[in-house]
Amino acid sequence: MLCFTLLAAGCSTKQVVVEGNFPKPLLDPLPITLGVIYPSAFAEHEFFDEAKGRAESDWLVKTGEAQVEFWDILFDGMFDEVVHIRDWETVQRRAAEIDGVLIPAIGDLQYTIPTHTNVKIYEIWMRYEFRLVDIAAIHQQEDGALSFNPDEHLAAWPITAYGKTPTAFLQTDEEAVNLAAVVALRDAGAHFVTSFGATPDIAVWLDGIARREQDAALSSSDDASGPQPIAQSSETSSSVEREPDSGGTL
Amino acid sequence: MSMRRAEKQLARVTGLILLALVLGGCVNATVDEMTYNEPVAGIGESSVVILGRRHKPDYDTEFDFIECIGDHIHSGDPSIEVINEIAFINQFYPWFEPRTAPLQPQTIDQLLQLPPVAARFDEIKLEYMIWIDGNTENTESTGSMSCGIGPGVAGCFGFGTWGTESEYEATIWDFTDKVEVGRVSAQTSGQNYMPAVVVPIPIIAPVQGTACDSLGDQLLEYLSAHH
Repeated sequence: MLCFTLLAAGCSTKQVVVEGNFPKPLLDPLPITLGVIYPSAFAEHEFFDEAKGRAESDWLVKTGEAQVEFWDILFDGMFDEVVHIRDWETVQRRAAEIDGVLIPAIGDLQYTIPTHTNVKIYEIWMRYEFRLVDIAAIHQQEDGALSFNPDEHLAAWPITAYGKTPTAFLQTDEEAVNLAAVVALRDAGAHFVTSFGATPDIAVWLDGIARREQDAALSSSDDASGPQPIAQSSETSSSVEREPDSGGTL
Repeated sequence: MSMRRAEKQLARVTGLILLALVLGGCVNATVDEMTYNEPVAGIGESSVVILGRRHKPDYDTEFDFIECIGDHIHSGDPSIEVINEIAFINQFYPWFEPRTAPLQPQTIDQLLQLPPVAARFDEIKLEYMIWIDGNTENTESTGSMSCGIGPGVAGCFGFGTWGTESEYEATIWDFTDKVEVGRVSAQTSGQNYMPAVVVPIPIIAPVQGTACDSLGDQLLEYLSAHH
C-alpha cells in the first residue's frame, strides 16, 4: 500500500492556480479611454508540462484568473478609463470614446524548479505579446464572437517578465511556483509601465491623441455652439466594411 | 560480535551528540562599519524603511531577515518608525520592484519627478532608506543517517552536520540629501548538527539571527539618539 502511494505520488500532477494580492500602481493616469479585450486563451491561460521521468511530476500552472485580476488593476491605475470589450454591443456603443483597444496575449511561459536545475530557486519567465488596435479593427463574426485582423494594429510589442523565489523552509513546490508567478506578474506590470510611452508606435499614438484633444479644445473655444465632429466615425464604419474577418478570434 | 559492533556504534554516536551539544550554537560573526553624518539628535518624527535587494540572479535577500532587522531597531528604540517592507513596496508599486528599484541614491530624484510618488514620500516623511544585500546559505554537509519503519516501530540512527554562512551589507541612504551616508556589513558562520538515536535532534546554529542582531545593533546605534 505504502509502495503504491509512493509510486502514485511520483507520477501525480502538481497543480497551481496562481493567486496573489496585487497593488494598484502609483501613477498619474494617462488621459485615455482604453478598450481592453482579454482573449479566452489569455483569460483561461494555463501551462502544462509533462514529467520527463518517473521521479518527476506533471505540472499544471493556471495563470488565467490571476492575469486578468492583475492587468485589470494595472490598467485601471494607468488609464483614465478602461472599457472591457466583451461583446459587439459594447464596441458599437462605446466606439466614439475609445482611443484604442489593447489585446494582451501570452507568447511563452517557462518555469524551472530545483529538481530540474539543482539550483535552489524556482523561476517563471513569461513573454507577452501586446497589440494595440483601433476600435475600427474589431469585427464581429457570424457566430457573434469578436475578432480582429492582426496586421491592422496601431502598435505591437513584446513584454518579458521574470519572477523567482528561493527555496524556503516549510514551503511546498506549489507555493514556491505560485510566489514566482506572482513576482513575474508584478515584473510584467513594472516592465509595461516603464516601457509603454517609450515604445515608438505607442509614442506616435499618444502624440496623436494629445494633438486631437488640443484641436478639439481649440475648436470648441472658437465655436462653442457647433457640435463636436467625431472624426473617426466615418473611418470606423468604412474600415469595418473594408476589412475581412481574417484575424484572430478573441 | 554484532552486539559489540552495535555498542561501539552507539558509543560513537553518543560521543558525537555530546560534541554537538558542546559546539552547537557556536556562531562566528564579523561586523564592519563605515558611517558618517550620524543624526545625533535622532530622526524625530521621520521614518525609516529597510529594503532587501532582489535583482541578482542567484539569490534574493530574505523578506524575514529584513523584518527581523526592522523589529530589532524598533524594539531597541520604539521612537524610530520602521516602515514595513512589503507595505512600502506595494504602496510604491511599480517603482521598487527588482527591475525598477533605484540602485544609486541620486536616481531617487527621477522618481520624485512623478507627482504621486513625490506626494506619497512627503506623506510618510521618509528620512532614511536602508538597502540590505546578501543572504544566508547552507554550505558543505557530511555524515549519514538511516531511518527505518516496521510494524509498530520507527526510528533513525546516525549523525549529520552542515555549515551555514550569512553575508549581508546594509547601505544607508539619506533621503533628504539623496546621498549614501554609510555601510555596515555582517558575516556570520556556524555549524549545525543532527544526531539521531531513534529520534533526530537538530542542533541549529543561529547564523542568520546573529547576522540580524549584529547588523541591527549597528543600524540602531547609527539611527538612535539613545544608543
